[in-house]
Amino acid sequence: MFFRLLMESFRRQRRRKMLAGIAILLGTTAVTAMLALATTIGDRIHKELAVYGANIVIYPKADLLDVKVGGVDVKPASGGAYLKESDLAKLKTIFWGNNITGVSPELPVQMSVARHAGDPLVAASAVGYWFDHDFSGLKTGAPALHPWWRLQGSWPTAQNDPGHRNVVVGANLAKKLSLNVGDNFTVQQTQTAGSAQSSAVVTGIVTTGNETDNEILMTLRDAQTFTGANDAVRRVEVSARTKPEDAFARVDPDSLPPKQREIWYCRPYANSIAYQIREAIPGAQAEQVRRVEQSEGNVLKRISGLMWLISAAALLAAGFAVSAAMATAILERRGEIGLMRSLGASKGAIALLFYAEAGLLAVLAGTMGYLLGSGLAAWLGARIFAGDGGTAEAILIPVLLPVVVALALIVAIAGSTPSIRTALRMDPSAILRADA
Amino acid sequence: MSVSEAKVVTGQLANLSGNDPSGNTRDDCAVISLKHVTREYAGHGSVVRALEDATFSIVAGEWVAITGPSGSGKSTLVNMIGCLDRPTSGELKIDNINTAAMTATELDRFRADKIGFIFQQFHLIPYLSALENVMLAQYFHSMTDETEAKTALQRVGLGDRISHLPSELSGGEQQRVCIARALINNPPILLADEPTGNLDAANQKIVAELLQDLHRNGHTIVMVTHDPEMAGLAQRRIALSHGKVFCHPVGGPMVTLRRATDRL
Repeated sequence: MFFRLLMESFRRQRRRKMLAGIAILLGTTAVTAMLALATTIGDRIHKELAVYGANIVIYPKADLLDVKVGGVDVKPASGGAYLKESDLAKLKTIFWGNNITGVSPELPVQMSVARHAGDPLVAASAVGYWFDHDFSGLKTGAPALHPWWRLQGSWPTAQNDPGHRNVVVGANLAKKLSLNVGDNFTVQQTQTAGSAQSSAVVTGIVTTGNETDNEILMTLRDAQTFTGANDAVRRVEVSARTKPEDAFARVDPDSLPPKQREIWYCRPYANSIAYQIREAIPGAQAEQVRRVEQSEGNVLKRISGLMWLISAAALLAAGFAVSAAMATAILERRGEIGLMRSLGASKGAIALLFYAEAGLLAVLAGTMGYLLGSGLAAWLGARIFAGDGGTAEAILIPVLLPVVVALALIVAIAGSTPSIRTALRMDPSAILRADA
Repeated sequence: MSVSEAKVVTGQLANLSGNDPSGNTRDDCAVISLKHVTREYAGHGSVVRALEDATFSIVAGEWVAITGPSGSGKSTLVNMIGCLDRPTSGELKIDNINTAAMTATELDRFRADKIGFIFQQFHLIPYLSALENVMLAQYFHSMTDETEAKTALQRVGLGDRISHLPSELSGGEQQRVCIARALINNPPILLADEPTGNLDAANQKIVAELLQDLHRNGHTIVMVTHDPEMAGLAQRRIALSHGKVFCHPVGGPMVTLRRATDRL
């Protein structure tokens, strides 16, 4: 009987239910779109800001020490300390290891180059990088962390023949040496005395817009071979998904009580990720690259605030619309309510019937709102992040479905409550007489 | 019917219906008992006394007609007997239970158990069939039983109309569905509010005979009516005027009832 009454109310009051349903649908569509965007916006903004480089940099702790003899800084300009490449695997073992989306170690080599064998050698800097390195299943390297680099040709790959290195040459240096893709030229590392000259093949010419345009880029393995420092890296750039920085992020964790420290540690602030890296890699100093982090945090904060505001406004409007529709529906059915009360229906039984109607409407409209909202989020995401010609990336986050349906239920129940309370306060005998 | 006319009615069924030789109902036999019941409503800056100091009893199996002009307090009285309202002061007992002491939820349950309502306007749910309308009362009482509901409809002569919607039934048929609904939970009291007020003479006769039949089978019937002929069917009349019960004499005998039916 309960379901018969429930279904009949939908069949007979189709227009009213439709109006309330559309209000909930629109509200939940907006909320789903906002939540879906808010959930993915961090990743998307991180991707967008990734063009500005890494957000954490790691270098040997020894670089922080002043080496002075008689008041004179005698520390070598390039530094003498190295990190171990093999230690980088530990990056994936830290608490927020899964948030690390890119790693790019570097090893500089001082070199001399000549266009042809026998030509006078010219000093040039070279840097060894990962290019398309498999880092615990993550394909990463310098190109991934410097997406603005424009390459003509291809990135170098490690060669078994030490006499023929594959390298990419910076645009300025290539111009200076009249090098084109496929050309051979002579290289000699000058960091250690007495090294032999060898030949290198230009696999690509890169334009970076910074000092890298004057450098030679080679595989990290080649750079290690040149310097004779196997397993050594000088500096590591890390890109990680982080939580926007707030006041708590900036505190010194070692000054916090244990419980607070644990909270700080378990939040994906760039600072706490850097802290965990320092813990994981011996002799490493990891620091946040503040400029990018702050931009990301500020943008996220503003966009999230706006999204919450839009969601709250949409839900509030839906609540009012449900309230109005339910008030009219109950007014139309006051005769039924009076009759049910006279038949001994408790206020609870009548409230249950109306709340079930509101609930069913919320579940249906909420589910549809979830689907529509996911589509809207995909469309908005494509518009905002991919620019013109961008394709909509489907944003169907299953965990949002119960959240959105729960919100729809809250809106429907809150919107219906004033009308249902009014219905329950009605004097059944007065209703039955008024209907007569 | 005037108040003086009402006072003429004699009490041949007094002993049968639980009244003592002086004409007063014995409390231990009363299914409905009111003692100094007053009902007041807050009006605009004043208190409206809708029912004042009503004292009378109705015994099990009795058929009582409540009469009086509009505004006399009939509805207030019926609402209280129907457990839809409670007295401001005084004591109202239904089946020897004081309704004033009950919570709202208890009163809902009590109403479902003890009272069967028959309305002038039938108040059938338009989208439910005759059978479903009867089953609705079962649903709010305990649980639905289609066989019982069909039997109730057969009892009022609608065994072949169970799947019809109210709009497909005549006024008399709708009232019979309403009576079947009132009977389905087997309540000790039937509260009929102008049960024939909306019916033509033919249907009025059918419903009156149905009520007579129910009364013969031991149902207590409290009937509000403006119709002197219907009132004449009752054993007793309780006349109200300006919120006061003017008389509650022991009612007329069954012969009076039959005579009245014959007139229909």
